This record gives sequence, C-alpha cells and structure tokens, in this order.
Amino acid sequence: MSPVTPADQRLGRLLAMVPWVAGQDGPTIEDVCSRFGCTEEEVVADLGLLFLCGVHPFTPDTLIDSAVEDGRVWIRFADWFTRPLRLTPAEGLALVAAGATLLAVPGTDPEGPLARGLAKVAAVLGVDPDEAVGVELGAAPPDVLAALQRASADRHQVEIDYYSFGRDAWARRVIDPHQVFNAAGQWYVAGWCHRAGADRVFRIDRTRSASVLGTSFEPRPAAAQPPTFSPRPGDPVVVLDLGPEARWVAEEYPVESAEELADGGRRVRLRVSERAWLERLLLRLGPSARVVEGDPAVVAAAALRVAARYRANEGPK
Amino acid sequence: MNRLERLLNLVAALLDAGRPLSRAEIQRRVPGYGEGKSARRAFERDKDALRAMGIPVVLEPLDREHAELGEGYRIPPEQYRLPDPHLAPDELAALHLAASTVRLGAGGSHGPGDAGTAIWKLGGATGQADSTALVAALPGSEHLPVLFGALGEQRTVRFGYRGAGRVVDPHSLRYTGGHWYVIGHDHDRGEVRNFRLDRIDAAPVPGPASSFERPTGTPAPAPAPWRMGDEDEVEARLLVDADQAAWAEARAGDGAVRERRADGSVVLALAVTNRAALRTFVLGFLDHAEVLGPPDLRAEMLAWLDALGAA
Repeated sequence: MSPVTPADQRLGRLLAMVPWVAGQDGPTIEDVCSRFGCTEEEVVADLGLLFLCGVHPFTPDTLIDSAVEDGRVWIRFADWFTRPLRLTPAEGLALVAAGATLLAVPGTDPEGPLARGLAKVAAVLGVDPDEAVGVELGAAPPDVLAALQRASADRHQVEIDYYSFGRDAWARRVIDPHQVFNAAGQWYVAGWCHRAGADRVFRIDRTRSASVLGTSFEPRPAAAQPPTFSPRPGDPVVVLDLGPEARWVAEEYPVESAEELADGGRRVRLRVSERAWLERLLLRLGPSARVVEGDPAVVAAAALRVAARYRANEGPK
Repeated sequence: MNRLERLLNLVAALLDAGRPLSRAEIQRRVPGYGEGKSARRAFERDKDALRAMGIPVVLEPLDREHAELGEGYRIPPEQYRLPDPHLAPDELAALHLAASTVRLGAGGSHGPGDAGTAIWKLGGATGQADSTALVAALPGSEHLPVLFGALGEQRTVRFGYRGAGRVVDPHSLRYTGGHWYVIGHDHDRGEVRNFRLDRIDAAPVPGPASSFERPTGTPAPAPAPWRMGDEDEVEARLLVDADQAAWAEARAGDGAVRERRADGSVVLALAVTNRAALRTFVLGFLDHAEVLGPPDLRAEMLAWLDALGAA
C-alpha cells in the first residue's frame, strides 16, 4: 500500500470507528480504545474533531453529534458514515491470507469460527474462499508438531531426536521450546538447546520424535519476528562464481556479498559452518557453480561418495 | 483549520452531494481551502490522499448533456461502502487472532498493517488480543494485492515473467514451499500454468473487469517441484534409507510409496516432468538415497555425479 502519513492513518481509523460507534448504544471508551488500537486521549480528541464535521451549510442539522458521558461514547447523525470504507485489495489479501494460513495450521477447526468468518469476508470481497488463496505450510510429523505445540504452551522441556542437515547426523537433545512457528514454508521450534548450551532453531520436519518431559522452563516474552538464521562470523568463507542460471542463490541464501560478473552471473561470498550443507548446494548447482575461495575438493568428494552408492548397487532392482 | 477535519468534511461532501461537484464548488462547501493556487494545491493533495486510502473519488462530467461545462468529483456511496458481512463476535475474534499471529511480508513495526486496518473496518479488534505470538511468517510480494484484486473481479492480467510477456486469467494465489504462486489460464499456451511471484519481472497490469469465467470445482493441490515442468512425464523410482524415509515420504505426498523394505528404507514412485528439480530433491539426501529407475534417469544422475567427481 502507498505510504500514509499519521493524519491519513488517523482518518482511516476514524472512518472505521465512526460507523461502529454510531451503530452501538453508547459503548465504553475502553471498548473503543481496544477495538481501534488507540488511547483514551486520542478517542476524546477524535470526538472533539467530529463535532465540527458535517456538510454545507454546517447548521446543527448537518453536523455530526458526538458526546462522552460517564465513560461512554455516543455518535449521532453521522449519516454519511453509516458504513466503513470497503477493504482495499491489499487489506483484503492480507486478511484472507492470514485466515487461510491459520486454517492451514494443524489443529485448527476447519469448520470453526475462523472458517465461517473467512467465508463471509470472502463473499463480501467477491472471491471464493476455498479457491482464491491457498496456503500450504509444509509437512511436519503431526504427532511431533502437536507435542511441541503442547510443550511450548505448557512450558515443558522436551527431548527431541533431531537430524542435523548440516552435519548429516541424528542426535537426541533436550530443549526449552520457546516458540513453535512457520517461516518460509517450514515448521520450526526455537528455544534453548541444553546439548549446545545455546539458543537454536530446529526444523520440525527433521525431528522424528518429541517426548514432553516433566521439567518446566521459564518462558520468555514471545517474539513477534521469527528468529533469523545468521551464520556465525567465525565460520569458514566460501566464494562461488555462479552462472546466470544460478543467480537465485544470492536471493535464497544469506550471502555476505554478491557482485555482478561479466557473463551475467554473480560472485557470492558465503559463510559455511556445515560441510553437508555446502555439499548439497554444490551437488545441486553442478557446472553452474565454481569454487573460487574455499576447499575446491568438497564437491568432487561428495559426488564420488554418492556415485559410489550407485556403483555398489548396480544390477537388477 | 485542521487538515484531518478538512479531509473528513471533504469525504462527507463528496459522499453526500449525489452529483459531481466542481473544484470551485468543493472549495466553497468545504471550509479550510482558502483561495487561489494554494487552494488548488491543497485540494489536489487531499484528493490523492483519499485515493491512496482506497476511497473511490471519481471524476465525471458535471452535466452529461453539456460536456463543455467541465468535470467534477464525487464518491459513489455504493462504491465506498463495505457491505456488511454480518460477522458473529467469535468470527471477528478469530479473524483478529489470524491477523495478529500471521505476518505477511517484512511487516512494519509501527502502525496496524493492512490486516489490522481490515479488522478495524470489520468492527475492530476483539478477543484474545494478548496472544500475539507469531505463528507463521509468509513472505510478501508487491504483486499480491493487484493479483488478488484481479482474481476477485475476473480481470485478465498482463505481466513479464522471466523476460517474456504473459497474458493470464488469474484463478488463485497459492503459497507453497515458501513461495507465492499465481495459478491461472495462460492465453498464449492455452492451459493452466503456475507462476512464481518473485520471478515476475514486469508488474501485472489488470485489464477490464469480468473478462473471464471463474473455473468451478476445487483446485488441484499445488504440484511438487518435480511436477513443475513441461518435459515428457516419466515415473521415477527412488530408494530412500530408513533414517530419511519419513521426511522423503512427507515431501513425496500420499500414495508415492511403492515398497517398504525390512531395513526401514522405502521405494517411492514420482511422476516427473522436471528432471532438474528431481535431481535437486534426490541430491538433498546426499548418499542416503538413489534413483533406481528408469535406467536413463539413473544413468543421467550418475553422469551428473561423475562429471562433478572428475572436476
């Protein structure tokens, strides 16, 4: 949406608040404040402003009437503002996408109030609720996801059996699951890892079991942002020359720098702590990537190792 | 004169008039504009601010019989007013919970955001307002709102995709694998195609409303990456070791398992129309998986590995 000034934002709030208050019989100021995310002072200021609003010739019968009495609010004669403004496409999309996302979270009632509310909003927007926006949050073992959600809500420690993608190995570890969330189409649990003695983020689709333990942990304030995956500064540097068809690597992975190459490709600088992660990337890119700095033998060794598996299993299957 | 007060009066005047008002008339009826050039500038700025908020300020002839009389502005009430969806209190509370626990795009730390202002218009925030811990974060896209508007009004859109122009009837927006796609009928190719929004390189331009029929029936689920191509279809058989089997099964979808072996490994059958995407999927398992067949696909895989091994 286009940038809006505080005055425009206040106008937007007023155009939504006025029809709602006018349709009620004197709601409390607190109710108005919590519904429209503003302070009591702001509501009183808005009502004072409304008192001066209306249409030509601004005689008492063409002015809005507003009043605050005993902590309750009245707005009358706001005939032009009997309904709020239509949702903009950005608002409609944001709301429908949020609803469709929460519906896609395992455990949400597919016929509950969210689904019913979403269908009504979609009808007003002229879209089919099942068709317009579809959200898939990525696979995760349902019992593991449910156990982690429960443990996080109840503040219980949990023991997970986790596959480290970077090290290509399974290990059991006890964690304090602070937050279970979905980002970039994957389910994650973020929390304190007692094995590592540090905060860690785990992919739930790579967790094959989660046992909720009796021990509880101290919760932290919930983060409004997902934890980010930032490489550690001490990790070894790898510099790759990417062909034009592999330019996307610079957008998909946290690269330290990316510069343009004459052939339309890019030179990217990455910090890589885990060998298996780099092996996968280089095996996937094949001839589209060339190691400029770092161990050039990584990809060849990995390729020979995988190829050896094929050679060992030659013959009819 | 407070600008907000002037804006409110302007909206009321344009909604109330029932006919287009000339600029001179607006300046007479709405206090606070003053006169001359600055009045004109102030009005232009106000009009742009209202339009940026989505208020339909339309320009129409003052008199349809006499075009020479010039044009004026009004806000058609039927285009302004949100029809009442008659949300029950628990439905509004559930939508508010969704709006506060799901984040679309980078998300501003200030202001209510698009989902938040949508909730205001529907009656405001109610219910468990304190439970705002993030449940899901989805990437945003500047193209989402325009495509959403276009699919609601059945407008054909034109956009640039990987360097080529496309003409598409948008049927739905899909979020899968961490990316947004628009799925729709591609006019030039004569079939339904998927387009990843972050690969759109020239912004979608919508055409006139009601320019296609909305397809009926439930849409097919978004295809796996190895289905997103137009190569001749081949059924790949993939052996995955026990340690990785559950993850592979989940990615491959229902019905892909052909065989479960005693050691816990599984054989999956995948219908492939994009061999490069299959290769990426298989290599993700490193030496914990292999393509069993068909022979040419297995040979292709081995040739890829041998070329890298010889480098």
